[in-house]
Amino acid sequence: MYSSCGVGVASIQSQFQVRDSVRTYTGPGENTQIPVGSGVTSAWCPVYHIPPYSDQPTCTVNSVCNTQPNPLPTPLTQPPAALKPGQGGFKKVCRTEEDSPCPFPGLAPGVLEMRVKEGSKIRNLMGFAMARMQGDVAGAGGDSGGGSLRQVIFSGSGRAVTKTITCTEIMKRKVGCLHQLTKLRYKGVREVWESQEGGASEMTVHRTIPSISILLSKDPLDPQEPGYQPPETISALWEEREGADVPQTASKRPLSLSPHSSFPDSKRVCLGLEDGALPQSNPQAN
Amino acid sequence: MTEPRSPISTSVPPTPPGIIMPPADVSGMTVEMDPVEYTLRKRLPRKLPKRRNDVYVNMKTDFRAQLSRCQKLLEGGGHREICVHGLGLAINRAINIALQLQASSQGALQLAANTSTVELVDDLEPEDPDEAREPMTRTRNNSAIHIKVFYPDPQ
Repeated sequence: MYSSCGVGVASIQSQFQVRDSVRTYTGPGENTQIPVGSGVTSAWCPVYHIPPYSDQPTCTVNSVCNTQPNPLPTPLTQPPAALKPGQGGFKKVCRTEEDSPCPFPGLAPGVLEMRVKEGSKIRNLMGFAMARMQGDVAGAGGDSGGGSLRQVIFSGSGRAVTKTITCTEIMKRKVGCLHQLTKLRYKGVREVWESQEGGASEMTVHRTIPSISILLSKDPLDPQEPGYQPPETISALWEEREGADVPQTASKRPLSLSPHSSFPDSKRVCLGLEDGALPQSNPQAN
Repeated sequence: MTEPRSPISTSVPPTPPGIIMPPADVSGMTVEMDPVEYTLRKRLPRKLPKRRNDVYVNMKTDFRAQLSRCQKLLEGGGHREICVHGLGLAINRAINIALQLQASSQGALQLAANTSTVELVDDLEPEDPDEAREPMTRTRNNSAIHIKVFYPDPQ
């Protein structure tokens, strides 16, 4: 019994590794906790507890109560081939995100919330959100006071975090004068994995993954709130910090971006770099 | 505190094996497509302030090493606040580190995250030096996060 659970956890972890391609992501990000009560699979679901920072497929079995006599106890020494996800034979069948309270208390109802998933297309997300924020659909809005929204929330978790930030940055650039409030937290996800061989066993895994929620508002927000970011602070963010410290010469490296970035098309030939193999590692030569 | 000055910024290889641009037809005269093969070299991101309490998270260093470095800064280093920066793919890891720090402090630490856009420059260098092609550059944007992890002032 114990050995079979070793296979299960190992297969899951190796799947994480395959998909994430970051081994250490299995550390805190995949910080697995004990489910309080697995309502999804009641009868026979072994519950595992994977400690954080575990590279080895260690597992603690809290309760294993198989109604069906699972195949014979295999020897504890698993062949390494069993660690491969294809042969481990566990498949994720269900994934439910636990409800968490809104990270922005005191918001007016009806704020548009864009839930960014890792497969979401940025053009779809931004096409929708920009139309609502810019108020082009004022006629369609009707009763809601012009149809142009004042606030929007972008939220995403796991591998969608980067995309969430990208959406926010695009919207800040296009709309302008947006106040921003960023909140980070862990979000609980419960996954149900099912054995592909025989289908006799299931297990529930409770993971916590990092998530981000970003509120963009046309109206001013509380500047004292942690994570607040006033509009147009791309450079101010650093000037303020540099003032508090001795500025290093390395930070002043200009990289001579201005002539290149002034090109509307960044793929143009850069005429300033003509003299032979002008070393890019030495941008001050420009 | 013996803090490594920056394993992040110094340990960048000159070039990963380049992405070869697909050869386009020469007659097309399209400026966008590269007629010869170019090697794509990614320049380093623009240098940002590096104080004692700035931590730039990357995806090459072991996660636990970066996490323990932050913990040492906060606990042993006597810093009241540190800044954890992540760019692109490392955003996730930066958030992870910050949340782990917060969780292990039993709520004593607070997080304040800011996001920004970083402009990156790629160099396109011709593979064949005989062709006398000019090197090109292109810029693109990437998202970044800056998380201030701090002990709130007792008020």
